[in-house]
Amino acid sequence: MRFTLKAAVLAAVMAATGAHAKETVVWWDFLGGGDGVRMKKLIEDFNSEHKDAIEIQATTLAWGTPFYSKVQTSAAVGEGPDMMTYHASRIPLAVSESTLSEISADDMKTMGLSGDSFASATWDAVHVDGKQYAVPFDTHPIVLYYNKDLLDKAGLIGADGLPAGLDGLDNFNAALKKLKDGGNQWAIAQVTADGGFAFRTIYSLLCQQGGTIGTDGAWMPGDSQDKLAKAVSVLADWVKNGYNPGKTDYPTTVALFTSGKAPFMINGVWEVPTMVDLAKQNKLFNWGAIELPVLFDKPCTYEDSHTFAIPNNAGKPATAEKHAAVLEVIKWMEAHALFWATAGHIPANKAVTDSADYKAMQPQATYAKLTANAVFDPKSIHAGVASPLFDAAGNAFTAAINGETDPVTAVADMKAELDALQ
Amino acid sequence: MVAYILVAPFILIYGWMFIYPTIQMVQMSFTDAHLIGAGKWVGFKNYTRMFKDPTFYKAVVNTSYFVALTVVPGTIVALAIALMVRRLKGWVQSVVLAAFFLPYVLPISVVYLIWNWLTNTQFGMLQGLIIPIVGEPVNIWRTIPWFMPGVAVITIWWTNGFSILLFLAGLRNIPQEIYEAASLDGATRRQMLTRITLPLLWPITVLCLTIQLILQMKIFDQVYLFAVGGRTQSTMVMVQYIYEQAFQKNAGGYAATLAVALFVVVVVFSVLQFQILRIRGQR
Repeated sequence: MRFTLKAAVLAAVMAATGAHAKETVVWWDFLGGGDGVRMKKLIEDFNSEHKDAIEIQATTLAWGTPFYSKVQTSAAVGEGPDMMTYHASRIPLAVSESTLSEISADDMKTMGLSGDSFASATWDAVHVDGKQYAVPFDTHPIVLYYNKDLLDKAGLIGADGLPAGLDGLDNFNAALKKLKDGGNQWAIAQVTADGGFAFRTIYSLLCQQGGTIGTDGAWMPGDSQDKLAKAVSVLADWVKNGYNPGKTDYPTTVALFTSGKAPFMINGVWEVPTMVDLAKQNKLFNWGAIELPVLFDKPCTYEDSHTFAIPNNAGKPATAEKHAAVLEVIKWMEAHALFWATAGHIPANKAVTDSADYKAMQPQATYAKLTANAVFDPKSIHAGVASPLFDAAGNAFTAAINGETDPVTAVADMKAELDALQ
Repeated sequence: MVAYILVAPFILIYGWMFIYPTIQMVQMSFTDAHLIGAGKWVGFKNYTRMFKDPTFYKAVVNTSYFVALTVVPGTIVALAIALMVRRLKGWVQSVVLAAFFLPYVLPISVVYLIWNWLTNTQFGMLQGLIIPIVGEPVNIWRTIPWFMPGVAVITIWWTNGFSILLFLAGLRNIPQEIYEAASLDGATRRQMLTRITLPLLWPITVLCLTIQLILQMKIFDQVYLFAVGGRTQSTMVMVQYIYEQAFQKNAGGYAATLAVALFVVVVVFSVLQFQILRIRGQR
């Protein structure tokens, strides 16, 4: 009896939904931190809004090399997801291995987006040889976090309530000295145990001098090698002078900043939720985050972009309905990126960052202007997060920042390692 | 006939899951394959590259150093603990044994987090022991001379429980009558240890050493987790180098070549070690 009842209910449900089959979108991401919690919320909202039409089935995988090797291998045998998050900096390798499907101009039109929706550097970062392979969702640069109370005490807060007098390497170092002499245990917390992470700061300082890291065969064009050594020496000097603790890993820098032992911290915008949450519990001082000061000739900050990409599942091309559903997901996410901004990331869609709601969001609105001066990783299959370039940086910079080799030798070693890549 | 049918499933699965991939690996080592796809035949190019690759030699040296730091010392520690645990009785023995075995149950990621936290330069408890000796906090995982010994200590702590169990089983297998006869003949405790316990434990010791040797030559997880982001070239071990080439540098062919080299080294060393230890045991 119960069995027939169940069967009847099942039949009724199938009849009700059978009219238009519900499309499932298998989604992979690598968002494990505070931003992952926010992404889950977005996905839930999407699913409840599209109850009868589309359902996202999301899986979160390990960030970095494990994610990218899994995507590569599964797409090659047609077992990849329907869509996934992707770092813009990792697109060149994916394209060279045919892991990603191209996004056509028609696709963009369907989503109501175009090149004008994004900052030019961000738009450029999702292209390889003039073809688009992903839709930028955010950019996530590094920023300078500051402890407003301690800076105020040292007289480093200007009339507008923001840190003042930090531009120029000498001025910035003088400010650090003032903070250190003023009784702070450390002046700044920058990751020094992981040269791959410190790459973000060093690369920004290289760009501020007008230097670049090239691509295969010509990694250090012009006088970039000297400029890179100069950028490394900035961090090495902070450690040598006792402004920044040596051989310090990521969680420790966050702990030093949030416990008030270091008035400055250079870190990714993804740490904003940590500060917001602590402040909500009244466990944090007055704080803020600003664009990296101009230590050299021009403003410039490293950033990468979380994008949405569609894998090129070998032998299993998506049906037209599936493709439409994926575009709908991306369109919806782009339109709802304001909530994503609470994770610290800067929404890539200008329509969101230009909105009044975003402009009222602090400190996001203060540092968001840096996207105009941003630099992405070089476009090489060897560059990007968790790449051979980061690895080479880890070897060279960790030694140099902590005074185990001098910056000039370290950069020369790094170049040799990059030249040996094949 | 029945015998063949009974062993067939094993042979098939072993051939499919082990022999076939091994042949594929050797084949792949002669190609320029990426992480995915077949790649072109390049002859011995990967092998000549390997013999000229300083990081390969560094990885061999580091792996050997790590083996030297863990295999024999770890086995001696396990034997000593087993001898001590044996003298305990009842539930005290169970509790102490559990305490030594517990780390073995932990996944490596947890082991890494515990020790990374204990040794943190700013907040780690173990710095309280390091500072009085060295004079300043030391980041063990970023100071090259400290790195391998540090990983070795943690590995012994982590994997020793299994060797201790093997030794305890071996100790329980030694008949009590031998000890009784020896004490009637006036043997001292020391004599009983060196003349009875240790020789009779020799087969177990050989087993422990062989298992440890093979296990520690394949060291990867601990070194990878503690070194990632830092000076990985200086602390590189062989399996880590295979991983780096295949998954980070997208060089499947070269990674296969390195894997063949590791395979040969492990086979040669384990056969050698087992033979040498067996000959010594037959004296």
